[in-house]
Amino acid sequence: MKIIDVQSVTKQYQKDFYALRDLSFSVEEGDFVSIVGPFGCGKSTLLEIMAGIRENYSGIIKIRGQSPEYARLNRKIGYVFQRKTLLPWRNVIQNIMLPQEIAGLKDEKKAYDLLEMTGLKNIVKKMPHELSEGMQQLISVVRSLMLDPDIFLLDEPFSSIDEINRAKMHVHLLKIHKQTNKTFILVTHSLSEAVFLSNKIIVLTSRPGKVKKIVDINLSNHGEDIVFSKEFLNYVKIVKAELVNNE
Amino acid sequence: MNKIIIKIIVIVAIIASWQIIVTILDTPTYIFPAPVKVFDALIKYRQIIYISAVITITEAFLGFLIANLVSVIIALLISFYKNLENVIIPVAIVIKTMPVIAIAPLLVIWFGSGISSKVVAAILVCFFPALVNVLRGVKSLNIELYWLFKVYSANRLQLIKKLIFPSILPYLFAALKTSSSLAVVGALVGEFIGSNKGLGFLIMSNYYNMNIPLVFAAIAISSIFGISFYYVIHFFEKKMIFDREKIEEG
Repeated sequence: MKIIDVQSVTKQYQKDFYALRDLSFSVEEGDFVSIVGPFGCGKSTLLEIMAGIRENYSGIIKIRGQSPEYARLNRKIGYVFQRKTLLPWRNVIQNIMLPQEIAGLKDEKKAYDLLEMTGLKNIVKKMPHELSEGMQQLISVVRSLMLDPDIFLLDEPFSSIDEINRAKMHVHLLKIHKQTNKTFILVTHSLSEAVFLSNKIIVLTSRPGKVKKIVDINLSNHGEDIVFSKEFLNYVKIVKAELVNNE
Repeated sequence: MNKIIIKIIVIVAIIASWQIIVTILDTPTYIFPAPVKVFDALIKYRQIIYISAVITITEAFLGFLIANLVSVIIALLISFYKNLENVIIPVAIVIKTMPVIAIAPLLVIWFGSGISSKVVAAILVCFFPALVNVLRGVKSLNIELYWLFKVYSANRLQLIKKLIFPSILPYLFAALKTSSSLAVVGALVGEFIGSNKGLGFLIMSNYYNMNIPLVFAAIAISSIFGISFYYVIHFFEKKMIFDREKIEEG
């Protein structure tokens, strides 16, 4: 079932400066979609528009048939930013409870269940500065689950994390995706990250961004060594070829 | 050695040197009184010094409080209505460039010779530094944190309570510390011009009477209050944002 429908979306900043132009695609419920493209092609702008936090665009975006603003106001969107967004004066559990506090709810059990699921239960009282950057981003992912949104938008959440820890985060993220069966949309520069996590990769052209190719990914497994397999590397090559021939 | 002991030793050394120099040079009391004479004046006039200090402290504290409260409200308004900055900042700069000593007589005409004109003088002196500091805090807000709250559909009150206020706290304390000593100066200047009570009045009237030890005693009390006020705020700052300092220190 189609959950996101993007039709002819254009975002113009100044007279001759287009971030996105005539961009169209759709996402099925439960998909894990990655959006890749050259630097400055409007990937993050697209995500911000889909989250309902950036306005003044032309075209149509529907999330379950409603506008992004409607989805945002009804707390149907989870968002993880590229930069750290844990509040430094709150500990882990207080940070995770933030969306519920804002929504006027207080279901601590849900927070503890999510922490248990991600194996983070032992750090609930820690302050953000006591955690690694990867951990902080994982906490942000967990926080975004608290209001049980329909879609999760992730804007390069692991871009500043070293490769070893990034791989661990990928496993955590896949686990969350599998257990929640929600729709995830990830913006990333890392092709291997996109191939490992997604079942669909949308390749954008250089600015102004529009869809160049949609690549379906169907890995036989998500084991530790899959990233060294021929199957995995072939997918990376296919996506890379689309990006290289982008001009 | 303990920092407090070092500070005490330095202060005692300065006072002792002052006493020695004044004694050796045999400086007349009406030009530069010895610390002993100042201490004598403190004891002898303790009643009037106490009454005057209470008045000045009240004026300074009220001016400090109102100036900072108004600054926080304005900074919050600017965070929601950016264009307001273009209107408010020029007005704040005009207030800042007006020498309080020059407009103090006008304040007496407008607000009377009672406590109000001195409170207004303290507000005028405190307002600009407080506003600039708090505004810096509002402007340094991480835009992604603001968007995070927007994604969660937070209302303005939640935004202020859970994000803006905790974020600007270090800047607010900088504003409070800067304006704490300025408030005392504002109140004193107000009293110099048109008052018959307070430490400022005590200083001016005793200049004319050549009771310089009492002038020194009143100045010392003003300074002690200014310094104490600063350190009380510093104490609360350490208590409230200690963890954040630890983060910055890494």
